[in-house]
This record gives sequence, C-alpha cells and structure tokens, in this order.
Amino acid sequence: MVRKVVLLLLLALLTVPTLVGLAQEPQGLPVEVPGGRENLWVFDRIYRLPTEANWNIWKSGIHTAFFHALMHETFWNRDQETGAFIHALAAGDPVYNDDFTEMSVDLRQGVLWSDGEEFNADDVVYTINALRNSYPGGTQSGWSVQLDEFGAEVEKTGDYSVKFTLSRSNPRFHTLFESRWNGIYMMPSHVVAEVEANLAEGESLSDWFWDAEDMVVLGNYLPIDWDENGYWQLFQRREDPENSLAGVITGGSGPPYALGIWYGNENIKKAIAMSRGELDVYFDVDIESFETTLDTTPTARSWFTAFPWAYPNEVSSRAMSFNLEGDPLVANKDVRWALALAINIVELQTEYIGGIAKVTPINIPPTPKLQELYHEPLEQWLIDLQIDLGDGEMYNPYDPTVPDQIAAWAEDYGHTVPGAPRDVFGSGWWKFDTDAAEKLLMKAGLSRDGGGNWLTPDGEIWSLDIQSDPSENDAYRMGQAAADMWAEFGIDVNFITLDRSTWTQNHRVGAFEVSTPWQSFALASGDMWPNVRGYHSKYYAPSGEDYNPLGGDSLRRQQETVLDELIDAMESVNPVAQEEENLALAHEFVKHWTENMMDITTIAFKKFVTWDEKYWTGFPTAENPNYQPLYWFMGGKFAIQNLTPTS
Amino acid sequence: MNLLRTYILPRIFQWFLVVFIGITVTFLIPRLSPINPVDEILARMTAFQTMDPEAFKTMRETTLALYGLDKTLLEQYVLYWQRLMVGDLGPSFGNFPRPVTEIIATALPWTIGLLLTTTIISWTAGVLLGSLAGYFHNRRWAQVFERVVVVIYPVPYLIIAFVLILIFVAELKWFPLMGGSRGDAALTWEYISTLIYFGFMPALSVVIGATAFRFIMAKSLTTTEIASDYVQYAELAAVPKRKIILFYVARNTMLPQVTDLALSLGLIFEGALITEVLFTYPGIGFVLYNAIYNGDYNVIMGITLLSIIGVATAALLIDLLYPLFDPRVRLR
Repeated sequence: MVRKVVLLLLLALLTVPTLVGLAQEPQGLPVEVPGGRENLWVFDRIYRLPTEANWNIWKSGIHTAFFHALMHETFWNRDQETGAFIHALAAGDPVYNDDFTEMSVDLRQGVLWSDGEEFNADDVVYTINALRNSYPGGTQSGWSVQLDEFGAEVEKTGDYSVKFTLSRSNPRFHTLFESRWNGIYMMPSHVVAEVEANLAEGESLSDWFWDAEDMVVLGNYLPIDWDENGYWQLFQRREDPENSLAGVITGGSGPPYALGIWYGNENIKKAIAMSRGELDVYFDVDIESFETTLDTTPTARSWFTAFPWAYPNEVSSRAMSFNLEGDPLVANKDVRWALALAINIVELQTEYIGGIAKVTPINIPPTPKLQELYHEPLEQWLIDLQIDLGDGEMYNPYDPTVPDQIAAWAEDYGHTVPGAPRDVFGSGWWKFDTDAAEKLLMKAGLSRDGGGNWLTPDGEIWSLDIQSDPSENDAYRMGQAAADMWAEFGIDVNFITLDRSTWTQNHRVGAFEVSTPWQSFALASGDMWPNVRGYHSKYYAPSGEDYNPLGGDSLRRQQETVLDELIDAMESVNPVAQEEENLALAHEFVKHWTENMMDITTIAFKKFVTWDEKYWTGFPTAENPNYQPLYWFMGGKFAIQNLTPTS
Repeated sequence: MNLLRTYILPRIFQWFLVVFIGITVTFLIPRLSPINPVDEILARMTAFQTMDPEAFKTMRETTLALYGLDKTLLEQYVLYWQRLMVGDLGPSFGNFPRPVTEIIATALPWTIGLLLTTTIISWTAGVLLGSLAGYFHNRRWAQVFERVVVVIYPVPYLIIAFVLILIFVAELKWFPLMGGSRGDAALTWEYISTLIYFGFMPALSVVIGATAFRFIMAKSLTTTEIASDYVQYAELAAVPKRKIILFYVARNTMLPQVTDLALSLGLIFEGALITEVLFTYPGIGFVLYNAIYNGDYNVIMGITLLSIIGVATAALLIDLLYPLFDPRVRLR
C-alpha cells in the first residue's frame, strides 16, 4: 500500500511536467496576434514598468520607456549614428531673430493623426499652452518648467507655421523640441481640447487618464493590450502607416504588430528567448550572452557580422570619476595623472571589455560625427600635451598608437578588423607607464614601503575605494580593471559593488572616493553647453551635502573658475549659426578638464543591439547604416519602419 | 469567561501591538535609508536628456510637495494613519499617482496562487512521505527516498531553478521563459490551462526544496515518535499499521508541522522574489523589491502591512487552535 502511494507520487512528479508541457503549444509568448508570429515583431524592453494603462505621456511621472518612439512626435530628431539633424514635424531648421528671443518654425505638411486629421499649427499652439497652464502637477521631463523659465509664448503665423516669443534670450530653445531620447510631444488639439473642456471642476490635464482605446497619435503604432504587471505591451500598426511621420519620412510601413517584452535583467534570458524565436531584437547584453546567441541562433547578428560585432556609437562614455573632496590625495592632479598612467588601456579594452568598445581619453565618445568635431582637431594638442613629473622633467603622456595595438591584438586572435583602427577602436590614450606614475606620486609626497606598497605622506598605507554599479557591464568591468591595475601598482584598492540606487545616492552626497559613472560632454550634434552647464560652481555642494536640491551636477565637487567662464560663454552662443565659436569654447573646456585629469575616461558606450532575421529583416547594419539601430531612442523608429518580413 | 480574559484577549491585544509596532517601524525604516524617492523619479524622468539646473530644482520642489514629502516626519506619520483608517494606502511614488492598493491587487493574486498551491502541495507531500519514511525506515524505498532528499535539500534554490530552466525551458523548450498566463483572464479551461502551463516551472522549483525540507522534518519527528512506548505497545497489540501511523504517530507529530504550515501561509504576502525574477513570473515580491530599490515608501508599507498582519494573524490562530490539535495543550 505504502509502496504504491510512494510510486504514484514519484510517477506524478515525472509525468505531470511532461504532460503539461506537451499539452501546450510549445511557445511562450504571452500574446497571439492575427497572422501569427510572421505578423509580430518582438523587441526587448529596457525596463519592466508596472503603470501601463495611462497613456497621458505629458503628465509628470509617466514612464516613457520606448512607447514614446512608437507613438509620439516632436519637431526634430537627432541621429546618433550620423549626428544628422532630422526634420520631423518641422519642415526646416529653427529660425531665430538676432537676439534669440524669437524662434519661428515651419511645419511639415501631410502628416496625419491616426484619426485622419492633419497635423497643423493649432496642435502646436494648444500643446504649448496646455503644458504651461493645464498641468499644475508638472509635466514629463520638466517641459512646463522649462517653457515657463523663458516665458515661452507661441502664436500661429499660418496653418503650418508658428512663432515662439521668449522673455529672454535663448539660442538653444529649439533643443526642447529636438529629440534624442525625447522632446516636447505634440498633442492632438482636436482631442485634448475636448477632454479639457469636459474635466470636472478642480481637475486639470494632470488628472486626465488617457485610455488606449481613445488614443490618437502621429506615430505608427497604437497600444492594444498590455500586462498590468508590466512585462509586456502590444502595439498595432495604424491603418494608414504611410501617413504617420515615420511613414512619410521612410516610405516604409513597419510590422503589423509590435510586442515590447521584458525578460528580466539576466542577459542570458534574452539569449534564450532569441534562441526560442521569441525575441527579434535585444538592446544589450554582456559578451558572454552575445556569444551564446551566436551559438544558439544562427540567424542572429549585431551591427558587424564579425568582430567586434557590437554597435559602437551610442553617445556616452565611461570614466573613473574622482570626488575631489573624498580622498585628500586625489585632490592633487599629479596623483590623478599617476592613476591614469598606471592603467594599461590596451589590456583594459581587450582583456576586460573583449576588444569591442572604442577608446577615448576625453569625456566624448568617438562617434563618426564627434570624432570629426573633437578627437581629430584635438589630436595634435593631445600629442603635444606635457605634464611635469617633478624636478622640471616634462613628459608627453599621450600614446596615439593605442588603436593600432588593439588591432594587433585582434588580429592575433584571428579577427579581421573591419576598417581603420582609429575608426573601429577609437582614439589614442595615455601611455601605460608606471615609472612616470611613480615619479608623479613621489612628487605628491607619497613613498613606497619595503613591500612596494604606496604610503601616504603620513606614512600610512594608501587605501583607495572604487564604487561601481554592476548593472552597467562595461563601467563595472572598467572599474575592476582599474582596481586590479592599481593594486598591481602598489595601491591598497577596495572595489565596492553597490546597487544602482545606493550608488547614485552616494554620488549625490559625495560618499565616494572614485566611482564609475558614464557621461558625454557633447550631445550627438557636438554641442556641449547643455551637458556641462550643471558643472558650474554655482551648483557646487560640498561633500556630505546632496547636490540635487541645487539642480546642478556637483558629482566631483569641483569649483573651477575657468570652467565657469567657459560655460557662461557657451551659453550665449548659437550652436548652429555660431558652430565654430561654440566648438572653440568646447575644445577649451575639454583641454582644461583633460590637463587637470578631472576624470579618467576610458571607453565609449557599445551596445550589443542584436537581432534575429528569422522573421524580420532590414535592420540597420554597419554595411547599411541608413538609420541608428538604437531602437529605444526616438530616432530608432525609422529603423523599425524599414523592417520587412524575411519570407 | 476566564478563558476569554486570561487566554484569548491578551493574545488579541498582542496581535494589535505587533501590528502597530510593525507599521511604525516600517514607516520609519525607508525614511531613514539614503534613498529618496523623488530623486529616483527625477533621475528616471531626466535620463538620456539634459535639463536646465534651475528647471530641475523647481521640478524637484514641485514633486516633493506633490508627494507630501515636504512635510515633517510626524505630519507624514499622522497622515499615514489617517489614510490607513479608511483603507487608503496612498499613492505609489514610483508609479504616481497609481494607488498602492491597485498595485498590490494586481500583483498579489499571482503570489497567492503560486505560494498557496506550492505550500499546500509541499506540506502535504513532505509530511506524508516523511511520516511514511520515518515509520517504515527500514524499507528500501524509504532509504532511497531519504538519500535523494538529503542530496536535494542542501542544493541552493537558485541552482535548482537554473537547472529546471536549462532543461525544460532552454533545451527542451517545453515551458515558457516568462509570464503568468496567455489571453484574457476567464474561468475557462483555455485560460486555466495557460495558468498551469506558465506557472508550472516556478511552482515545481519551489515545491522541490520545500517538500524536501518538510520530508526531513516529518521523518525526524516520526522517528522520534515511533520509539515511544505507546507505539511499541500498539504494535505488540497488533493494531493495524495504518491506524498507528495515521491516528497515533501523525497526530502527535502534527503540532510543529501545523505551526510551520500556518507561518508559511502567513509569509505568503512577502512574495517569492527569487522565483519571480528567475522565471520572470508576476507577483508581489518583485513589486516590493522595486519599491525598496526606488524608495517607494507607500508601496513598501502597503506590502509589509499585509505581511505583518498575515504573520501576526497566523501566529494568533495557531495559539488559539493548539488545544484543538493537541489535547495536551490546556490552560492552567
């Protein structure tokens, strides 16, 4: 009897999973669409977002991860691959008056809302007024605050033209409507005005809950279903894709259905999903998971078909940043230079990063456009740059041969380098020269004990903390590389792993010595001021105090008069009309920052944007770089619009 | 009357005290952490873009006021109790202004469905098999079973889950990689079968370890119990084995096992974070994790409140029900 019970239980344990599994269709997507998988494009979402039902994107706090690009439009897009200024809802460039207090915009004609109404100047006027007056709870990305700051008034000057009048000069006012990630999205005035008119007393558009079935968009897709737990969202192509903005610009129509799905933070799960045919594109993974994808999904590829595979041109770079009020020794620029020269960048880029990211010694990634604007013009300055090792010995720290060394490494491993080393692996970097580093530390008053350990001027073992967040693979590995190399050099390094929230909070209050953030001083366009204005000394907060309430970025606790003057000078320059002057100021900024080794910048962002061509083809590639492949940015919509069925 | 005054009422008072202290501590702890929900929200809202520092400053102040975080700690505490008294857990900061009750209501059914099922299955299977293996400890099947369980039990949950994913999801592709169901929720076999299909692997991963634990516990208790005089006497008196094990041995080993069951059921409200993450399965665990990560005070407090009430109530019920399970428990 007992034996029978036990056997039955064991039998059940073995057979139930088999039966349950076989009883189902062997696919794990949570939705089914008419026409099946051939009509569905499945993309990797960046986040899992629990609020999925309210599509009032202009409201403060609403998440935008990706659905903005599928549905919403603004005046201009910035392509990260080429730096091109793409006219979206605007028909041309912004036109300013002489003192930058007025901006005129001609609007594109022939773009229709998904209900058939044509986009026109009324929509622009209504949007600006609504953002300024009807969202007392604040708006997405602080748009209302930024419009208020310049007292932006808008008037219709024609059915397809508008003029903005500002209360004070702003040569960059148009950037509020220039989207890399997002920009001020236009509202369908014929829909939202009616909603506003019917709000209950005391309510505003901040309280407006926009249901999916009432959605009217300029983009190519409308939401039709979603998971309340935040794992997925399903979109359907509008009936007239040719009249959406992306349709008008590209001439493509895009897949009939798009499913955004979140498989979790574990990279390997994305690889498994792709191998199962349940993911057409993912936005990034570590190199190990990417190699798994290559092994398990024969139809998958990334930007390059072979080494170095990954897309190298997202506009951001990784750096070791110093809290100048943390370890008192790193407040000394000689110490910071010594730390830079104790890093072997070739080893870092190859052994730790896998040889798949571009090197940069400045806080600007060497994308084709930015390389042309920054790295090339500054190359000679970098070669000529000298630092004082002590006793008047001048030293040239820059090594322009770094890309060639990485190329040689790649060839040793049997890879073919797809282009000139500088185009593939970035620019030169600082020499790996521990003798020079040693001289600099001696100059700063440090010494070595008998075991080769560095001692502070007080005779204590010099201990240095590096904090890093593992959720950004390359930044984390860069930190590990630096920790290993500095330890090898004789420094007592503590490498501390923190979750993102704690790590960023430590940044805000200055509770770190060295950290591994990412940034770019320049936008994709090359303009610098928007990204560095927060470094002005007026936003300085001492270590121990939170800098966020001041609004700026005092991560490093720097107070540099030279930088302040450059920031002030850049502010009043129009980045388009006065590009040369703007760039000259930006170069000076980079030079001052670099001479003082404020950060040790190492590599640019790479992304393993990887897609499977089993169902869809036409994604941009290194051979056919028509649009940026970063589909989660606004400009990525054009790549989606160009997809066609493989069969 | 004496029973009510000296036994039941003090325990009910204790229940209220535990809940009050639990809520107060839960209110304070997130606010003592360095994570500020407004900064987390603003970081997300301004990611990938640049913003004028002055505008950022204004936006931060507006958001603090909107979330009521510009008030003093005492004011926030009083406001929280006022809301709680009318069943309002406040808005989520991370998903403002979505009510916390709505967020919990969306996630909790998945957790209850998963953990209630797995707790009952693992408890029943573990206790039954463990008791049998303890009583028939000389039988070959019992020894084999015990050895298998002893090997499985120390294996970390993560490893068991990964092995299941690799075999049944990645290689055989029998089970899905993510999600809880397919289609619109309905009381139809079509929908329920997808619930079983999507939930099977997460459930199996939990059941394996939990059954092993309960098997070991039940076997140990039974092994101790069968050495008792009354069992040997019953066997000598030729009482049927089935009766000995079910009515004598099992009943006497039941007290700690019922306690385990009740507390496990009470802990359901904490969720199964690792299971949810590994199997990308919906539930309250991830909601809580995310809330802690982003300093979403109201969500943390809402879920913790449920957990505190769940565990305190389970403990209270056990206390009150002990005499029914074991006649030896008496009020003196």
